[in-house]
Amino acid sequence: MHEMAMADSILKAVIENAENNQAIEVIDVVVEFGQLALLNPEQVKFMLDVLSEDTIAKGAKFIIESIPIEIKCKKCSFEGTIDGSSLDHYAPIVKCPKCDAYPVDVLNGKDVIVKKISIEKED
Amino acid sequence: MHKVADIDVHHNIMKANKKIADRIKKNFENHNIFSVDFVGAIGSGKTSLIEELIQKMDGKIAVIAGDVISKFDAGRFKRHNVPVVGLNTGKECHLDAHLIEHALDDIPLNDVDYIFIENVGNLICPVDFDLGTHMRIVVVSVSEGDDTVEKHPLIFQDSDLAIINKVDIAEAVEADADKMVNDAKILNPNIQIIKTSLKNNQGLNEVISAIEEFKSN
Repeated sequence: MHEMAMADSILKAVIENAENNQAIEVIDVVVEFGQLALLNPEQVKFMLDVLSEDTIAKGAKFIIESIPIEIKCKKCSFEGTIDGSSLDHYAPIVKCPKCDAYPVDVLNGKDVIVKKISIEKED
Repeated sequence: MHKVADIDVHHNIMKANKKIADRIKKNFENHNIFSVDFVGAIGSGKTSLIEELIQKMDGKIAVIAGDVISKFDAGRFKRHNVPVVGLNTGKECHLDAHLIEHALDDIPLNDVDYIFIENVGNLICPVDFDLGTHMRIVVVSVSEGDDTVEKHPLIFQDSDLAIINKVDIAEAVEADADKMVNDAKILNPNIQIIKTSLKNNQGLNEVISAIEEFKSN
């Protein structure tokens, strides 16, 4: 639901890095979404396309990669990755795959990271 | 001729928020202020609860009211003669640390003991946006349906106190308040849960004690 704010933050980071590297155009952008980031990738992509109009990133290809969920169970101490692909992005329910308990520490899978950009620059 | 270059960016959007949140927390601690983030759906009773706390708690309270049009809730708090900052979030669905840091410029930090932040009415988006507060209270009313807790696990896993509000009308809306309590306990065994009816003054003293106890720990 906060796709617009996220798209805006992503784009700001892209433009800042592009400009710092004397880009004349941004060709593509790789962004990583944690599977628990509560974001719909398709909505974010659409908003990135709209927001990047009239910027150096206009027309850039936005590639979204997924960061798996890593948890540590507070009950049985299981530590590992769980399959988040079947979770509903709207309100994912995370529980321990070993003992089915809900109280877990999420070690990874909540972040949103602008990983890399490809830019075109003058020689 | 143009050349293409790959740039490693590794900019973590969530960490950027966390960094500001850590700065805010330090600011609170430097001023000996205890802060609470109140989250919950639209109409769950967050504003009424904070109004009651303003009237009944010892200590000076300031409020940051986030809303799509903040003047409504901020106006209610202003009637209690406490420092209030209204944050218009417009179409945004949550408060973030950046907004809170700016709001603190308008609060006399040397002259308050508590800062209560009323988040935007939403059980999903505020989850991952740390505001630098010491405590998070989630308010859910029985009229939202007794499956609301199990449908929104993350916010209950991430809160310190859950308030099941409007229990006086549970029967009329055919909601089982005890089911909501049990669901919250399953999701988060460490969460404290209090059933309230602000209309009948039920549970309010327990809420005040819970906040004071959390503050002293």
